[in-house]
Amino acid sequence: MRGDSRQLLLTLLPGVGVITVFLVLPSIYLVGMAFLSTGPYGLPTGPVSLQAFRELAGFGFLGWSPGNLYTLLRSIGQTLLATILVILIAYPAAYYITTRPVPWRPVLLLAVVVPSWTNQVIRSVGWMNIFAPGTPVSDLAAALGLIAPEMGLFPSRFAVIVGLVYNFLPFMILPLYAAFERLDTAQVEAARDLYATPWAVFRHAVLPQTLPGLMAGTVLVAIPAFGMYVVTELLGGGRSLMVGNFVARQFTQAGNWPLGAAGALIMIVVTLIGLKVLRDLGRRLGGDREVVL
Amino acid sequence: MSKQTATPSSSIEINALVRRFADGHRALDGVDLDIAAGEFFTLLGPSGCGKTTLLRILAGLDTPSAGEVRIGGRAMAGVPAHRRSVNTVFQSYALFPHRNVRRNIAFGLEMQRLDTATIEKRIDSVAGLTGITTLLDRPVDQLSGGQRQRVALARAVVNEPDVLLLDEPLSALDAGLRGRLQLELRELQHRLGMTFVFVTHDQQEAMIMSDRIAVLDRGRIAQVGTPPAIYEQPATRFVAEFMGHENLLAVTGRDEQGVTTPIGHFAGAFAEGGHLLIRPEAISLGRRQAAAPGAIPAQVVGRVYRGGSTEYRIACGDHTLIARASDPAAEGFEPGAEVNATVAPAGLAVVAG
Amino acid sequence: MSARAGHMALRGFWYLLLLFLYAPLAVVVFYSFNSINSSARFAGFSLKWYRQLFGNEAILDAMANTVVLAVGSTAIAVVIGGALGYGLYRYRLRRWGWLIWLIYLPVIMPDIIFGIAEMTFFVAINDWLGLLAPGLSTMLIAHVTFQVPFVALLVNARLLALDPQLFEACEDLYARPWQRARFFLIPVLMPAIASSLLLALTLSIDDFVISFFTAGPDSTTLPIFIWSAIKKGVTPEINAVATLLIVAVFLMAAVSLMARRPAGKNR
Repeated sequence: MRGDSRQLLLTLLPGVGVITVFLVLPSIYLVGMAFLSTGPYGLPTGPVSLQAFRELAGFGFLGWSPGNLYTLLRSIGQTLLATILVILIAYPAAYYITTRPVPWRPVLLLAVVVPSWTNQVIRSVGWMNIFAPGTPVSDLAAALGLIAPEMGLFPSRFAVIVGLVYNFLPFMILPLYAAFERLDTAQVEAARDLYATPWAVFRHAVLPQTLPGLMAGTVLVAIPAFGMYVVTELLGGGRSLMVGNFVARQFTQAGNWPLGAAGALIMIVVTLIGLKVLRDLGRRLGGDREVVL
Repeated sequence: MSKQTATPSSSIEINALVRRFADGHRALDGVDLDIAAGEFFTLLGPSGCGKTTLLRILAGLDTPSAGEVRIGGRAMAGVPAHRRSVNTVFQSYALFPHRNVRRNIAFGLEMQRLDTATIEKRIDSVAGLTGITTLLDRPVDQLSGGQRQRVALARAVVNEPDVLLLDEPLSALDAGLRGRLQLELRELQHRLGMTFVFVTHDQQEAMIMSDRIAVLDRGRIAQVGTPPAIYEQPATRFVAEFMGHENLLAVTGRDEQGVTTPIGHFAGAFAEGGHLLIRPEAISLGRRQAAAPGAIPAQVVGRVYRGGSTEYRIACGDHTLIARASDPAAEGFEPGAEVNATVAPAGLAVVAG
Repeated sequence: MSARAGHMALRGFWYLLLLFLYAPLAVVVFYSFNSINSSARFAGFSLKWYRQLFGNEAILDAMANTVVLAVGSTAIAVVIGGALGYGLYRYRLRRWGWLIWLIYLPVIMPDIIFGIAEMTFFVAINDWLGLLAPGLSTMLIAHVTFQVPFVALLVNARLLALDPQLFEACEDLYARPWQRARFFLIPVLMPAIASSLLLALTLSIDDFVISFFTAGPDSTTLPIFIWSAIKKGVTPEINAVATLLIVAVFLMAAVSLMARRPAGKNR
């Protein structure tokens, strides 16, 4: 038994070791950095201070500016908008897959997932090709008076939202599909009998049953969307930046590591608060049902 | 260890065996047993009595906290499962999903590195013995419950172990198939002469199949004996109830002639104990006549025809007894009839507890 | 609205969705054959960008780096992650439940924080010990770190779906420890190992953010190459480079689809 235990420990050790040394320790180091002062070249140095957080809140030499606060609010707003759009598209899509014959379903799911296997940068390049000035789509938008002629749909906030939706759609369709597959159709039939409107049927029969999938999908979409870097950087063209971009800039161009670390810490805190809010929302919507989160 | 093919089967000695789990619960609490070579031996008891734990210790899949197991006279302490000439038919059958029937049966032989010709020969012969020759090339997920059971049996028997362990192998099957397989298993054991240790919670199954039965109660052996001995002379109230006896009366007094119970005095030389057992087939009913010496006045409260026998529920004062009449010539009684019940002395036993 | 009309509308919606999902990729592939450098006008079919691409040292280096990184990290991650998934399974009844949180950490942590945390850590280690200068080795470590949990979770899920008595049946049927691994564990886990292999490869090729922050000057991968080309405003070959990556991903999708079929038939 003893030897057996040691052997088992050996199976866990490399994996746990890799994650601990190369992710947990670096994360702790990054969080600690937020509480240091900024030295020359923007690198962290002693003494311990809350300078980075003061700067993050917008207090600079020139007095208070709301820029960083706007970035945070914009990030939250864009994340919410993209998540809602993803949910609106994913529900009918997931439902459609369940109406297809069983042998076809894995193929349809794969069709949804494969584009997300390509690189984020490439996917953004694809949208750049579509939205650039002078492309048919941009010309159409200009003809309809939606944008000024010769402007193109990219770079813009619109392009960023499209990019976010495009990136994370599969992560919502997959769990929703799993939930639809387990749907008890008897409950839907009963609801059809009891309620007149399709909305009431959805609200009282479909939504509660697919809620675990919806919750899982929302986590899978909202967390990475909130931390998005590539799409905002490439499709937003300097506008529509989110906290991820702000944090990254402190480590690349601007060079203020403690400020970036403080931003990363705020990102993590906001993410955790978001998870908590989702959990409470799930409880409220699901009533006494167990919601997996 | 190399397998001793010279001895076809082995005896098992179990001394003061204890298995204590981390939470302090004792699954086995001092078990002593001697199982003879070539015996069909059954461990019988309700779930949680320790019978499966005992089986796992014999297989080498669990380690005792104290005590000793000897198989074929050899101490088993420290001998891992893969070096014991012991094979198990698992409750879930545990057929390997990535191998077809033939390769499942071959697994143990391949692990022992037997040559291909021997392996094929042994598989063919065991397949004939267990009636699965036509299934050999099927994937295991295309088998029915009964077929899986046979494959699991073949996979264990093909290794020609000294001892075969069977962990409730029939519990997942429906009643008809179960009855047939009980007989087949019994015949197979006779033919192979292998020591079988069989675990079940079904007392009927135990009585049909076994040479001897050990009844386990909360980690201890309550009684060991042949099926008739266990059924007719249960040692304790637990054994009596587990064997399906319902006619148990508290002993209220004792003298040289016998024992006194709330429904009367019964003569005989009885063991010590707190309850008198009356076997249902020992009670015969007769028309209520004037004083019949030794008869107990009773009233029929219910009657069930069981095919070949009729079971009466009779009230003797505050007590209800079951009487079983299997003589077709005997007179029948309707519920409500006043009767005299006579008890054959051979159908009585006093049990401990 | 009748049920039939509803279904027609749903089907129409599905085709629009497919258009939405595949249009950006199709456009990239399409314009990679354009004879002029424009995504607004297709002037004629040409393989000129591909010819340029295969003459460009930097791109060929990036391609080699991408392949070395994907294959190397996958090989390591499948071994470490497979062992971890197995260890988690064997330990599942003991007080190691918190380990699962450790394993989910790389999965839920935003890429950008993951990448930056590793970058700052590697820089600190390099300053302190002179080890782990940014380059392929740091990228390899970073990739293995995010691949390991996915492999472990896939292998673990397969093990949890197995009958636990199978492990005992192996021991009972004379299999020594190494035989249990060779003749039971590995064959029975093969589908999970194969799919985690594909997943790990895809994750590695798909990653940009973490690679970007842990890369050194000589360890540019194709996604990083495309990124810097866009940032510098020099974009002639990027559609062609992107097409190569898209083709690689679709090949893997095809392999995974084919791998799924026969496995499904056997079971």
